Amino acid sequence: MDDQCPVCKSDRYLNPKLRLLVSACYHKMCESCIDRLFTLGPAPCPICNKTLRKLAFTPQTFEDLGVEKEVAVRRRLAKDFNKRREDFPDLRSYNNYLEDAEDIAFNLINDIDIPETEARIAQYKIENANLIELNLRREEQYAQYLKEQEESDRFDREQRASELLKAEEDEREEREKGRRELIDKLETSDKDASKLVARSRAQAQKRASNRTSSTMNPAFQSSAKLLRSRAAQSTVIPDVPHVPLQDDWYAYEDKFTLRDNYDDPISEAVRKDREGIMRAGGYRVEEAWQRALTFAVAGLDLCPLGSAQPSADPDVVMVTA
Amino acid sequence: MDVVEKANAATQRKWAKDAKIGEGTYAVVYRGREVATGRQVAIKKIKVGQFKDGLDMSAIREVKYLRELKHQNVIELLDVFSSKTNLNLVLEFLDTDLELVIKDRSLVFLPADIKAWIAMTFRGLEFCHRNWILHRDLKPNNLLISADGQLKLADFGLARDFADPGYKMTCQVITRWYRPPELLFGCRYYSTAVDIWSVGCIFAELMLRTPYLPGESDLDQLKTTFRALGTPTEEEWPGHSKLPDYISVGHFPRTPLRDLFTAASADCLNLLNKCLIYDPKKRISAKDALHHPYFSALPYPSHPSKLPKPAKKISALEEMDGNVDMSGPGPAVKANPPNNKLKRKLSSAEGDARSIARKLDFTQKSD
Repeated sequence: MDDQCPVCKSDRYLNPKLRLLVSACYHKMCESCIDRLFTLGPAPCPICNKTLRKLAFTPQTFEDLGVEKEVAVRRRLAKDFNKRREDFPDLRSYNNYLEDAEDIAFNLINDIDIPETEARIAQYKIENANLIELNLRREEQYAQYLKEQEESDRFDREQRASELLKAEEDEREEREKGRRELIDKLETSDKDASKLVARSRAQAQKRASNRTSSTMNPAFQSSAKLLRSRAAQSTVIPDVPHVPLQDDWYAYEDKFTLRDNYDDPISEAVRKDREGIMRAGGYRVEEAWQRALTFAVAGLDLCPLGSAQPSADPDVVMVTA
Repeated sequence: MDVVEKANAATQRKWAKDAKIGEGTYAVVYRGREVATGRQVAIKKIKVGQFKDGLDMSAIREVKYLRELKHQNVIELLDVFSSKTNLNLVLEFLDTDLELVIKDRSLVFLPADIKAWIAMTFRGLEFCHRNWILHRDLKPNNLLISADGQLKLADFGLARDFADPGYKMTCQVITRWYRPPELLFGCRYYSTAVDIWSVGCIFAELMLRTPYLPGESDLDQLKTTFRALGTPTEEEWPGHSKLPDYISVGHFPRTPLRDLFTAASADCLNLLNKCLIYDPKKRISAKDALHHPYFSALPYPSHPSKLPKPAKKISALEEMDGNVDMSGPGPAVKANPPNNKLKRKLSSAEGDARSIARKLDFTQKSD
């Protein structure tokens, strides 16, 4: 069925070594046909007449050649159309961009307006050269990071395995030692044999429980696990948009309007500072005025204390007076 | 026993001291708890008796300013009491700090995480500035992080109020790597812009995972800064060549930030750029920064509870609050000493600190 070359009609029955390759115009033919047609340089495709080269033939990955083509087209587009959501001011413009990219992909796949579409791609590439480059680098960094992560995970795992092995070794040795000791004791001492056996058993049990508690170390948590738990968390507690100021501290800013100038003898030195020695450091006399005014209006809303306020503590009265 | 002593004793009874967490030149930090509720706190015991100069200036500043500031992004001073000759500050207990987070190589920062941390830093700073207080020692080591992920400004040992008309301020503040060029040029009149520069450096450090402008001396700091951002011109920063300690360290061209921060978004670099403008008057304010499009753009800042935190074994040494050397071995100790040394030099080298500290003598009985 499929194992037939559309050009020479030879099939697997005639040629058991039959191998079909796909051309740049997505037509199949067998290796012997390719050799026959293209060894002497570029030649037209026997099916669609497009000029082809021998080197441009690739092994087939997908059964359906339509899929094969779509994958190739999308792989090519993804290289350039790599903008992210963060590169757009709002969701709408991002969606428009995705729509555009999809349009271009559709045209290429179905051979609609190819020259015009190619022009569009070229135009886009020129306009967004910087951003494309940047996103490319971002992706590389991310891939690099993933690789490192994997590396460290593997290292962790290996270390843990070797530790486990060592622990097992120790355990075996200890058990051996315990048994030898027990036999020695049974030989030499004149105590009750069953008591001695019970004691050594209790000791062995104690050692075992120590070991299990030490291996249950919470510090041994691979970072991959940590990352996964972070991802899980993010679905539980959503991030909220930024709120610039989150306190309700009232700074009396609406109680006065600052004028451009005040008759202020104290700050004269600052204002006469011709060379800007004071102002070059960011000192602003307006801030001094603003602060003075703030402090002046700060208590205006407070009710004065009632005169007959009995207080048990004489010190407090002294302070408020 | 007079009224003040009675009140002090009552306060003291409210808090219980547990294990020692860390020790520095002028303070010891203990883990503690509120007796009534069992809530964890950090108690910073300031050694008074052994210094001739009386109480360390940082302690006074810390009490003076923290008493007034109550905000979710500023460390909370819960109480102050004295015991024998010591002064005790009861502070909110915080798990870890941003420096440990940056140094923990096993953690991965998403762009949204950086956004959340910087937003919280600006929020805390804006609150200080709104209340006329300059922090003057912002660095990752002083941005503590609570168990629920909130970032809090801490260590107000170098803080002061600003906008008094024509008083000189010292330029020997802010850890060198985070110090703006106007202070390096010896400027004695400055404003909120000095803190913004520090935030800019922290912002860059979060993206690079290594300090952005690590100068080895004050002069080298200027060189490092100019090498990264270009030497400022007189148009760019009018009047800077007239500053007291102005020195020409050579001409360096400006390299675009994009070259170093390849993965950052355009908004992000725009904000970073505005934090690192040479002319302090043109530098963005904390309030304007909070309204910058970077914060409202996608991705949204991470929810505080989801921000990465160092593994427990590192943060076992809690309360990294300034001026404190960690005792006992552990990765945090190795990470900290250079900064701490720098920090101590700064606070003790301060001229005006001495003169004021002498007036207060806690060894005498207070009335």
